[in-house]
Amino acid sequence: MALVPFSYNMRSLLVRRTATLLTVLGIGATVAVVAGVLALQQGFRTLFTESGRDDVVVFLRPGSTNEGDSIFTLERSEILKKSLPEVATGPDGSFLISGELYLAVRRYKVDGGETNVPLRGVQPATFDIFGDGDDGIRIVEGRRFRPGSDEVIVGRRLVNRIQDCQVGDTIQLNVTPFQVVGVFDCNGPGSSEVWGDRDRMGEALERNAFSRVIARLGPEVDLEELKERMAEHPRVPCKVMTERDYLTGQTRVLSTMLGVLGGFLAVIMGIGAVFTATNTMLAALAARSHEIGILLSIGFRPVAIFSAFLFESMLLGLLGGAVGCVMTLPLNRVETGAANFQTFTEVAFAFRVTPFVLGVAVLFSLALGLIGGAWPAWRAARLKPTVALRRG
Amino acid sequence: MIPFRLVVKNLVKHPLRSALTVLSLMVAVFLLSTLRTFVVSLNAGVEQAKTNRLMVQSAVSLFVYLPDTYKAKLREVEGVEEIVRWNWFGGYYQDESNFFGQFGTDPAALLEVYDEIEVIEGSAEDFVGQRTACMIGQATAKKFGFEIGQTIPLVGVLFRRTDGQPWGFKLAAIYRATQKTMDDQTMFFHADYMRESLDQGEATGPSGVSVYVLKTAPGADTTEIMRSVDELYENGPQAVQTTTEAEFNAQFATMVGNIPLFVNAIGLGVFASILLAALNTMLMAAREQTRDVGVLKALGFTDFAVFVVMLSQSLFLCALGGALGIGVAILMDPFVATVVSMMLPTYSVTFDTLALGGVMALGVGFVAGIAPAWRARNLKVVDALSAVA
Repeated sequence: MALVPFSYNMRSLLVRRTATLLTVLGIGATVAVVAGVLALQQGFRTLFTESGRDDVVVFLRPGSTNEGDSIFTLERSEILKKSLPEVATGPDGSFLISGELYLAVRRYKVDGGETNVPLRGVQPATFDIFGDGDDGIRIVEGRRFRPGSDEVIVGRRLVNRIQDCQVGDTIQLNVTPFQVVGVFDCNGPGSSEVWGDRDRMGEALERNAFSRVIARLGPEVDLEELKERMAEHPRVPCKVMTERDYLTGQTRVLSTMLGVLGGFLAVIMGIGAVFTATNTMLAALAARSHEIGILLSIGFRPVAIFSAFLFESMLLGLLGGAVGCVMTLPLNRVETGAANFQTFTEVAFAFRVTPFVLGVAVLFSLALGLIGGAWPAWRAARLKPTVALRRG
Repeated sequence: MIPFRLVVKNLVKHPLRSALTVLSLMVAVFLLSTLRTFVVSLNAGVEQAKTNRLMVQSAVSLFVYLPDTYKAKLREVEGVEEIVRWNWFGGYYQDESNFFGQFGTDPAALLEVYDEIEVIEGSAEDFVGQRTACMIGQATAKKFGFEIGQTIPLVGVLFRRTDGQPWGFKLAAIYRATQKTMDDQTMFFHADYMRESLDQGEATGPSGVSVYVLKTAPGADTTEIMRSVDELYENGPQAVQTTTEAEFNAQFATMVGNIPLFVNAIGLGVFASILLAALNTMLMAAREQTRDVGVLKALGFTDFAVFVVMLSQSLFLCALGGALGIGVAILMDPFVATVVSMMLPTYSVTFDTLALGGVMALGVGFVAGIAPAWRARNLKVVDALSAVA
């Protein structure tokens, strides 16, 4: 069976360039919006899920879903530390386990308004647990806080976003001033946090407790066995999970929200875009009835006509998809902030226009073209040569 | 004379195209009003905030409790008429995913200070009078099918009972909020009941108060009250920050970060794509009607009449689409509100938003129609008649 040549479609799109351009731009805007929401969701996911480590485990109080509502008394955390032979040891032979105090504190944004910034009091072992490699805690300016002192370091993403987060500034916690002595970076949401000495912060905030305990596991530890044992622990029952699982859990609400928003927009805006594509193709059909008549008379089968129209419509969609991708690309790595609804804090992260996002965008645009072109293509294929030739 | 019947005839001649254009407009207007409602609802609590309510909370964090002893001292501040405690409970009903706000409070004072709470089922007296009673917003009551008189088991996350059982609160009243400063989803119970349970060792959890709400006397200087309350605890034990209700509500609105910005950007995208779609349709229509324009002019219709006919087609299609979109927005409002109720309990589409949707639809109709209409107006009869459609 002979197919209508590809160049026929290309030329017909070119001949009706105003309509083609408007349709392509319309589909492009639709694709860009959906891809933008997806890029946001990917950025959030990358920050949390992909930065989480599998060799670091988090201990929470049973029933807690995040460190904001988890609590261990000092006594319980000491018992916990002693009941874990699985924990790895550092170069100096000390156990790589650390209790942390977490609190969302009110801070003012540089551009006005209040927000909640996560504050983390850590023990020295925290730095050994994560190390200072590519997946660890890197000091990018100044130095670490000295243990036992009223000093803090701030995450890189806070520096230009939150007031009093430059090296040399002072952050007041209740009645105690803390000096900012350094800026650190890490792959995870820690880059939006303020870190200081656990004991000093506990005192300043009058919270003499831990929110969670983290530890680096030694090699060949059976995590499932550890989970079961700790859940049943007679004195300090707790929930155990890898850092990756913990951080993935933190994205649940916002990810679901963005997913729902993206899906909602894709469907609603998609309907609009399909209508536009259909309109354009119907106009193309009306203008080209005569040509279709000729094609049919010289022996092209209706199936070939159908494919040609559908192909042309998908080409329109694809062009729109390309425009949409181009419009989305500048968003890549743009920093933004959104709420982590689990802990009521604001986290900063970057849009990520990943190959996955672009792939979904292209498939989406093809689908729009396919659905939009189906009906006009069907009508074109059903034309009788005699009728078609007689029309304009 | 302007042949308006021609407007209708032209539109009906291409029923599918007209219908698709109208439907695109409908979808766009619905989408835009939904998006705008998100942003507007975020700020509803700020705009409608009462000026006679001040919120006293920890200066450090939303999650730090203030000592119970503050109440007596706050009472002595001049201009303070009534004090309500709000204690975040943070439990859940049956499953963690069944989330709604729960607060320990002072029932009598709450009902007095928050006059937007209207008890619609059960009785306010029972809620105030019975130690283990609770009051629940109608939306939550409906969602879980709670009935007056039943005991609602709540699993405490922060506050746990030492016997390992869930807390039980007897439902005495169901309320409705008459203003956006309150939502229809919260549960209130006696803070004193919780206090006693903690004191008697029946439960464990942090002690203290999340927020003290002060009702100021009419004519009192609120700025002065805020200043003197903050000064009281400047040197601890817990420094406080006193704000107006508007500022208090605003902190939740700013907390969602740049989400309003995203929503606006999306709205712009929707608007752009729909404008392009309408423009496309109108250009197509105009091209097909070139010869008609020639005929009209040859018959003696003025350039102006031709202009109006072309523009009216666009305006008519878009107005119809806009009206349908507004209709859909109104119909879908309760549905969307249910879906987002957990995140945004105050979601509700406003008249302003709908009006804006209508104006936008007409705007699109005007912009899309003006270029083809202007071209038709300037067409010479000879050129128009000899044009190939």
